[in-house]
Amino acid sequence: MKRRTMLAGLAGAAAGWTLPAAAQDEFGSKDLIAAAEKEGSLTYYTANFAEVEQEVIKAFNKRFPKIKVSMVRAPGGQLITRIKTEAAAGKLAADVVNHSDRGLMLALADLFQDYTPPNASDYRPDALVSPKFWPGVTLGWAIAYNTQLVKSVPKTWMDLTKPDYKDKQIGQVVGPSGGTTWTRVMFEKQVLGDDYWKKQAALGIALYPSGAPLSDALVRGEVSIAPLLYNIIYTKIVEGAPAEAIFAPEGVPIIPYADGITKTSKSPNASKLFMNWRLSKEGQAFAIKSLGNITSMKEPPAFPKGWDPKVIKVWVPKFDEFEKLREPWLDEWNKTYGYRQ
Amino acid sequence: MTATSSAALPEAIEPAAAPRRWGVPLWVGFLLVVLAFLVIYPLMMLLFGALSDSNPVVDGFGKFNPSLEHFVKVLVNENVHYAFFNALAACGGGTVLAVLIGLAFSWIVVRTNTPFKRFIAGASMIPLFVPPLVAGVAWSILGSPKTGLLNTVFKWIGIDFRIDFYSMAGLIIVFGIYYAPYVYMFTASALQNMDPSLEEASEVSGASAFTTIFTVTFPLIAPAILAGSLLSFVVMLGIYGVPAALGAPANISVLTTYIFKLTAWAPPLYNTAAAVAILLMMVTAILVWAQQRVLSGKSYATVAGKAFRPRALDLGPWRWFTFGLAVVYLFIVVILPSLALIIAAFRKFLFIKDFDALFDMKAYGFSHFNAVFDNPLTMLSIWNTLKVGVFTALIGGALAFAIGYTVYRTQVTGRRSIDLLSTIPVAIPGLVVGVAYLWAWIGLPGGLYGTIWILALAFVARFIPDTVKALSTSFMQIHRELEEAAWICGRGLVGTIATIMLPLARPGLVASMTLLFVLSVRELGSSLFLYTSDTTVMAVLLLDYYEGGNVGKTAAFSLVQTLILAVLLGVTNWLSRGAAQSSARVG
Repeated sequence: MKRRTMLAGLAGAAAGWTLPAAAQDEFGSKDLIAAAEKEGSLTYYTANFAEVEQEVIKAFNKRFPKIKVSMVRAPGGQLITRIKTEAAAGKLAADVVNHSDRGLMLALADLFQDYTPPNASDYRPDALVSPKFWPGVTLGWAIAYNTQLVKSVPKTWMDLTKPDYKDKQIGQVVGPSGGTTWTRVMFEKQVLGDDYWKKQAALGIALYPSGAPLSDALVRGEVSIAPLLYNIIYTKIVEGAPAEAIFAPEGVPIIPYADGITKTSKSPNASKLFMNWRLSKEGQAFAIKSLGNITSMKEPPAFPKGWDPKVIKVWVPKFDEFEKLREPWLDEWNKTYGYRQ
Repeated sequence: MTATSSAALPEAIEPAAAPRRWGVPLWVGFLLVVLAFLVIYPLMMLLFGALSDSNPVVDGFGKFNPSLEHFVKVLVNENVHYAFFNALAACGGGTVLAVLIGLAFSWIVVRTNTPFKRFIAGASMIPLFVPPLVAGVAWSILGSPKTGLLNTVFKWIGIDFRIDFYSMAGLIIVFGIYYAPYVYMFTASALQNMDPSLEEASEVSGASAFTTIFTVTFPLIAPAILAGSLLSFVVMLGIYGVPAALGAPANISVLTTYIFKLTAWAPPLYNTAAAVAILLMMVTAILVWAQQRVLSGKSYATVAGKAFRPRALDLGPWRWFTFGLAVVYLFIVVILPSLALIIAAFRKFLFIKDFDALFDMKAYGFSHFNAVFDNPLTMLSIWNTLKVGVFTALIGGALAFAIGYTVYRTQVTGRRSIDLLSTIPVAIPGLVVGVAYLWAWIGLPGGLYGTIWILALAFVARFIPDTVKALSTSFMQIHRELEEAAWICGRGLVGTIATIMLPLARPGLVASMTLLFVLSVRELGSSLFLYTSDTTVMAVLLLDYYEGGNVGKTAAFSLVQTLILAVLLGVTNWLSRGAAQSSARVG
């Protein structure tokens, strides 16, 4: 089955596409929708994977076909530099920005307008860093493994320190690769114990610069086991790759994104509607079921496969520690794993 | 005596004073202004970044707080030292290999009667079309110590030997075979333009064919060899894709992967990256200076007013040996990685348990191609890339011709500055130069930002050195007497250029414009900062696929890109050959 058809099918299952009047309020008032459709387009800057965000745009367009979303995608740091420079030159083209690093976005808060989604109270307060930014995307860490290579499947994060998995069977994304990995690294030390890194590093770990090549290496069998953001491996699993992923009972470190609408937006209504839809139950359920995202909603509208809400809990880093501990802890991580930054 | 000494050709190049024109100072001034805009202005932005903590656009020049902090940080960081020495080792080794391969190849193609030369010549350029990222991915599929296809084959045959491309040796080999075409391009056109009477003289004097090659042929094309090896070394220094795919799993970092780390993630340390970039530029500057020292005071003019045809050495039965060498090279450089990419593009997943699993046809299909062409950005990016490529080739080719002529064929004051300015961009790594262009040009009036033209401008600026150097060998080889003959016949400067230089340098000009086209299709570093949703290009989309962990789609899209390039280059080659033949008839 083609991926597009498959995703559309999943999305269809996630939410009925007919729009009863009551549901309209979920996304915005009639006036907002009319004004948004009149604007007819918006420009969306994202640091997420382009393919994934295109599925989001397609799903949004099923609901609101009259609004064209143009996307600009660049890796996290480069996107920030671009936004800063464009804004300073008075040429910021973005209406909506989607970024994984809340700290970096917070530094740019002046460029963004106040915005509150209709279902603001549904969101966990610890996922929010500013009233301007909302977690349209939330990603979470799972333990993925190659089903053809792994005989005894790891069930917990602590299993990844067992000598059974020595000699580069485990692959890891290097700690300093970005905000998402830093969240996992922080979780390991704070929740799994001070010596977790040391025990794991002693096994001999294959290091990868980012999650994407690692997920590919896992499917190819270069490594057998790898902590990965669930959304990176999820679509591969759905497509039939020899891989599977579990959520560990010690906790699932999650990364709430910071998404906002720029002050200079030329399509403020379309932008609001786009944000409202992405943050709505329907938008979040779509992202969970079709893209392998997690959510920052207090009551998730859906759960990923194998997620037992009684056992599995999300872990959100404390934002002040997230900023403060980053440098010294990553230095220590680099030394422990022998990574030359 | 070697043929390189100026005594061999007493009247060679010695640029005689060009006919005095009132327009000369204006012309030099014009070129300097263009280069200042394309090179110096962005470079100042980079320097500004390296010497301060601010973004010149965001903070303005007023907030310039000069400090050497970034330089000091970079110089004392032992990880930078490690990356620096790795880069020197990988690129140095790679260059040696590239020279060996490129030189051998150009000799086989141009100067021997090896069969199927045209085919070999065409196929040997293929590595040049392949984006480094794709080359890295292809060789990791082939040469991974655990799952590499080659190791799977060895296991199947029963050979105990295992190869490991996740190593310094792997980096050197991949660099060497992929950048050999740079050396080849330079040396092949030099060999083609060389008067065989010099070699004949050597042989008449009793030297063997072998001795002749090493005492006459190769020394005569020394500028081409040096230029080719210098360019390939510097280009390798700036490559990210290969060390990212092959070095990273072995924890081998080089300067580019280090810079990428500085720029890609949070918070982006552009100022530190700029400092590393400036160090890289110093290394390159030293190399360029050394090259000029070596070449200065010698003459390499070998194209004179006498008609000749490049001589093809009759190798007898040995021609099948050289043919065999070429086939082996092509197999390693073209067939193997292409097979790896084809397997990756058509196979749903790259998990290959054993050799037999390779032939399980159920595992193959068109899903990656379907996904690529389902993506509305694919066609847009192809169209944009072609437009930018053509604009870049035309503008860049014209500019390079103007610069090349001024630098290599005249003695006007200011030509050394022009030469220097047009060489600088080669030393700026692509990942950093993008931000310099953004800083420099975003404020330009007239709405340039956000259009295809700003991309073309960036590519022209970024690849001036490659284009000018590719042209320079053609310019250096055309003897002064040909121009003088035109002047004596009453032609003006422009007429001489149009009737003498342009036709004679045409193979070089076409080659360098083709090179520019190919480079601009592949260019990622500057695209990433200057593209918008309407002007997205193939390189950006390819990075999206790679960063999304989609080796299958990355492979499928790069096959599409390679195919488009191959078709276009085939057409260009056919057209230029047609043009060359018709002009030869006229001549």
